[in-house]
Amino acid sequence: MPLKTAIARAARAMREDLRLHVVAISSLTVAFLCLAAALFTMTNLSSMAESWARQGRMSVYLAEGAQTEDVAQLRLLLEGLPEVREIEHVTSRAARAQMATESEDAELSRLPADLFPASLEVTLAGGTTAARSAVIAERVGRFRAVEGVETYEAWFGQLESLITTGRVVAGALALLVLLCVLFVVANTIRLAIAGRRDEIEVLKLCGASDGFVRGPFLVEGAVQGFLSSAIAVSLLFAAFVAVRGEVDSTIAALAGVRSVFIHPSIAVALVVGGGLVGATGSALSLRRYLGV
Amino acid sequence: MSGKGNVVRPFAFFRAGNQAHANPSQRPILVLEDVYKYFRPDVATLRGVNLEVERGEFAFITGPSGAGKSTLLQLIYRAQTVDEGRILFCGRDIARLTSRSIPYLRRNLGVVFQDFKIIGHWTVYENVAVALEILSMPRRLVRARVSEALERVGLAGRGGEPTSSLSGGEQQRVAVARAIVSEPALILADEPTGNLDPTLALDILTLFEEINDTGTTVLFATHDHSLLEARSHRIVYIDEGRAVEARKGLGAWADRQTA
Ligand SMILES: Nc1ncnc2c1ncn2[C@@H]1O[C@H](COP(=O)(O)OP(=O)(O)OP(=O)(O)O)[C@@H](O)[C@H]1O
Ligand SMILES: [Mg+2]
Repeated sequence: MPLKTAIARAARAMREDLRLHVVAISSLTVAFLCLAAALFTMTNLSSMAESWARQGRMSVYLAEGAQTEDVAQLRLLLEGLPEVREIEHVTSRAARAQMATESEDAELSRLPADLFPASLEVTLAGGTTAARSAVIAERVGRFRAVEGVETYEAWFGQLESLITTGRVVAGALALLVLLCVLFVVANTIRLAIAGRRDEIEVLKLCGASDGFVRGPFLVEGAVQGFLSSAIAVSLLFAAFVAVRGEVDSTIAALAGVRSVFIHPSIAVALVVGGGLVGATGSALSLRRYLGV
Repeated sequence: MSGKGNVVRPFAFFRAGNQAHANPSQRPILVLEDVYKYFRPDVATLRGVNLEVERGEFAFITGPSGAGKSTLLQLIYRAQTVDEGRILFCGRDIARLTSRSIPYLRRNLGVVFQDFKIIGHWTVYENVAVALEILSMPRRLVRARVSEALERVGLAGRGGEPTSSLSGGEQQRVAVARAIVSEPALILADEPTGNLDPTLALDILTLFEEINDTGTTVLFATHDHSLLEARSHRIVYIDEGRAVEARKGLGAWADRQTA
């Protein structure tokens, strides 16, 4: 019953001072949109890393003038390994053609094919550890026909460190957004308190408990946080749906992954957290300006 | 049944409606014992006020401007705290109430001010109903009690009007309705006629007397001499920080005022 009353009083107050609350919710939406976008980026980087880890790859570069039977023997060894799922032989010409189309540089196709090493492109089974692929690379590297082996360990390491940095940045951003939300809500509620001094005085004179006086303001703060984070997540989702097709057929295809939206549990946490932080901001203001 | 049941209300035992058997000992409803109030360390605004108010009594509080009439009332509804002495309301020392208990005290008091203190953008109904809504009273009961209160102050059927469109006298009636709607034992009125012209002032005074007739104790602070003379109620005169009974000495006091 008291919560119902608080909600009804808050709804009325927000209607009566619509502009104040609309301005607050708009600025909070921007803050939450930044945070949600950062989380979205992190989600996709992580999913990329995960999918790379899942589909381990290895390029076995063949030495110049490698004997066909040596290569065949190498293939035989690789095919015998349980971790190997697929082997594709890319010749020097094929490598040149691929490079030329990918870089869109016609000059490349005029260079002699010998400049581009032929390779065996090996796809490893899911769950192959980095250590295991290093062992395989070492064994394969001992072959005469092999010039070098690329396990993309370095790339993977770079992506991992990018994700680690991203996590730190997202964490800092979350903290910044938290402070920003606290500040904006506390300020809005301060103005709301100032605008309703007379009402507060009347309530207290009639014998309203502190909780009764605080209730509507807490609800208003919570609604501000909740609505703005919900709007931010919805906007981000709408944008995601709008450009997903485009992105999946270009950038994502190159990286060999599909774009994903932030996990529903994170979205829910963002919205619920927004509401809680809003209520906290309101409580801070009440303590400071109402003494209750 | 009425939602109020689950609220702890230290003063709930005393209501105007059942005061005949509320307290067999018939102690005074309000007792001030040697009350001191300092706003500055060296100057006492009230210095040793002693006062007893019986249940159902109507008393004027008067005295020169700055004498401490408002201060005295503020001590009773705990907008101020006494520095020395005791204030017993229904036998309880309200000077020692914790801030958490103050709302429960105020639910048993009705307070009316010179500047009405009503919310202009609320309707008449809302301004009166707020005193019951804070008790989480069911809406049906609130409606019934508010319309009854509005009838008592002569505003029957006007609950839907915006308060700001009312005249000064009508706005004060709204404030009175808010003060009585919860049926408090004691009504404190601080210059309730100060902003009204003389005929309206007399109307409002009459309204308070009608409320007093139903058993509610009324403390009516005013320095309006014509009101004091128009009636034969008890007069408590505050001067130099003390309270003295002035009904008999009213003439002498009036002489001093004009001198
Ligand atoms: N909150 C306060 N802080 C400091 N001084 C105060 C405060 N309230 C009242 N006073 C002082 O106490 C004295 C009594 O004030 P009070 O308002 O009680 O007088 P009053 O009898 O109601 O006068 P009036 O007839 O003008 O309303 C005055 O000197 C006033 O300046
Ligand atoms: Mg005064």
